[in-house]
Amino acid sequence: MIKQRITSLGRSTLDTFESLGRATIFLFQASVGIPGKEGFHLWLRQMHFIGVMSLAIVLVSGLFIGMVLGLQGYTILVDFGAEDALGQMVSLSLLRELAPVVAALLFAGRAGSALTAEIGLMKATEQLSSMEMIGVDPLRRVVAPRLWAGFVSLPLLTIGFSVVGIWGGYLVGVDWLGVNEGSYWSNMQASVSFIDDVGNGLIKALVFALVVTWIAVFQGYDLVPTSEGISRATTRTVVYSSLAVLGLDFVLTTLMFGEL
Amino acid sequence: MKRSKTMELGVGLFMLAGILGLVFLGLSVSGLNNGLSSTSFSLKADFADIGGLKKGSRVTMAGVQIGKVTSVELDQEWFDARVTMELNGELEGQLSEDTTAAILTSGLLGEQYIGLTVGGAPDTLEDGDVIHDTQKALVLEELIQQFVSNMVNN
Amino acid sequence: MMNDPQFVEVENMYFSRGEKEIFRGVDMHIPRGKITAIMGPSGSGKTTLLKLIGGQLYPDAGRVEIDGLDVHRLKRRELFRLRRRMGMLFQSGALFSDLSVFENVAFPLRVHTDLPEAMIRDVVLMKLEAVGLRGARNLMPAELSGGMLRRVALARAIALDPELILYDEPFVGQDPISMGVLVQLIKKVNQALGLTAVIVSHDIKETMSIADYVYVLSDGKVMAHGTPANLNVDRDPQVSQFMHGEPDGPVPFHYPAPDYYSDILNQGARQ
Repeated sequence: MIKQRITSLGRSTLDTFESLGRATIFLFQASVGIPGKEGFHLWLRQMHFIGVMSLAIVLVSGLFIGMVLGLQGYTILVDFGAEDALGQMVSLSLLRELAPVVAALLFAGRAGSALTAEIGLMKATEQLSSMEMIGVDPLRRVVAPRLWAGFVSLPLLTIGFSVVGIWGGYLVGVDWLGVNEGSYWSNMQASVSFIDDVGNGLIKALVFALVVTWIAVFQGYDLVPTSEGISRATTRTVVYSSLAVLGLDFVLTTLMFGEL
Repeated sequence: MKRSKTMELGVGLFMLAGILGLVFLGLSVSGLNNGLSSTSFSLKADFADIGGLKKGSRVTMAGVQIGKVTSVELDQEWFDARVTMELNGELEGQLSEDTTAAILTSGLLGEQYIGLTVGGAPDTLEDGDVIHDTQKALVLEELIQQFVSNMVNN
Repeated sequence: MMNDPQFVEVENMYFSRGEKEIFRGVDMHIPRGKITAIMGPSGSGKTTLLKLIGGQLYPDAGRVEIDGLDVHRLKRRELFRLRRRMGMLFQSGALFSDLSVFENVAFPLRVHTDLPEAMIRDVVLMKLEAVGLRGARNLMPAELSGGMLRRVALARAIALDPELILYDEPFVGQDPISMGVLVQLIKKVNQALGLTAVIVSHDIKETMSIADYVYVLSDGKVMAHGTPANLNVDRDPQVSQFMHGEPDGPVPFHYPAPDYYSDILNQGARQ
């Protein structure tokens, strides 16, 4: 009985490492390809499906989160007579934490799951096999453009999220609650550092982009090619990438802002 | 072919919007260009106590931002704070020698910043000059202490 | 015949998936320019065999040679170059769902040749005409019926004029008319292009009508091989059961189970 438990623990550990190894080799094989003119068109197409199509949900969420921050921040700060610091609070929360994390979570739900399902469906309908038999490497043709489109899209979406969020905070704080417009901006400008806050936020976004896209395409490529396999892999993509984003966010925050 | 053109346009706009957003974050949110035109000059000032002033804090005159603090360090000889600030280049040679610098607070608990007030002396401050007439930061604890001791004395 | 190296040579091949042994020493010689059928009951690993020949799977032991090249010893690039000389027709057609019929057939031409657009168009229309679907070139795969899907996939498989074409269960799930069309097409394509064809199937009647030579797989081994005429009169009970579709015989109707009566009585005793 105990021996069985230990054996199964060992097996699952080995399986996990094997799968991590496969995922790493997969990432290298897929991202190393030299993109030609054809590759650029494939990438463009994926930018459309992954980036442009996620824009609406990311921007709307950003606006609402900015508005909520404006409202919540105001009610807290006004007790101390420090409502002038609203701009600082909204912008720092967005740039350092909320924009990269929430945009990555939305991205995993919107684009990541779609990527897994799409690649999984291509595998289940033997499209990947037939591509191989035609003599075209599906890692280059199918996976690589999606990986690169994901890497580029998420940082751009994160920027959009921040901008719209800051504007949302402005709408609520300045237009509605009557915070002084000048102090909203000038407090923000005095406290936000381009390198430390905007830059670090973008580094986070890049790391999240890499991890979420990687998980999504690998889950699609590695799944069991049945309808059940596709639905399981899609769920796994969202769960794994959300956990990875939140965990990595803690690690990155410690590295970036831990000494402050 | 037509569908691919609109797609290209969409992706192009998406990239452009992202870059513009980054520019906005740089200029309006982190104030990279703030109050500084292409040229600038620096002044120094010694304060007995700078409170919460730090690198990046605003420098204003009559409430208008004209520059920012570029460094804060301890003067090892006199043990006071030496603040270096970068000001709008147009003001070089405009500020009188007896200009005073005070550390002010926006609101009761807000951000601290430097306010400059010009005097009447004929000579002007040049790049690298030091402002001598300074007023230290208002530290809330000291104020309360003063207030309490006044109450006791009365 | 066994002494000359044939176009495709499978030698003493072993392959297992997990615990399950799929092939235990398979030998096959597939002659150039002929239609060779590989038949066997479901689950005998026929599709796996095609993937082994195409180099998508690697055998545990033994080897596969195509035109003198050992498929599984080739470097990745050489393997992809070899695959340009092969076409494969998948069971589901496996058309690229985001490309139109025209673009699907044009795909191999675009990636492997530098032909000008006008020439690609001519070749694609020629191939589509051969399968009778020139009029459907602007449809998307989702708009086609199962039989049409396979015909388009056939047009795509022969787009580069391959020397070897592999058919994976081309007749499964087809209505009698499209089945007839496919049988005709495979035969026609083979005669017209003089290519070597391997058909994996368990539709005996249709396959026998076009095959030049037949291998029958069972239990991971070649159970019998010969021309269709020879196999039809084979006395071996296993071969004859398969060829004539008898429900019970050496391949039992029942999945291995304990004795029926004792099973039922035991159940009753326990309750």
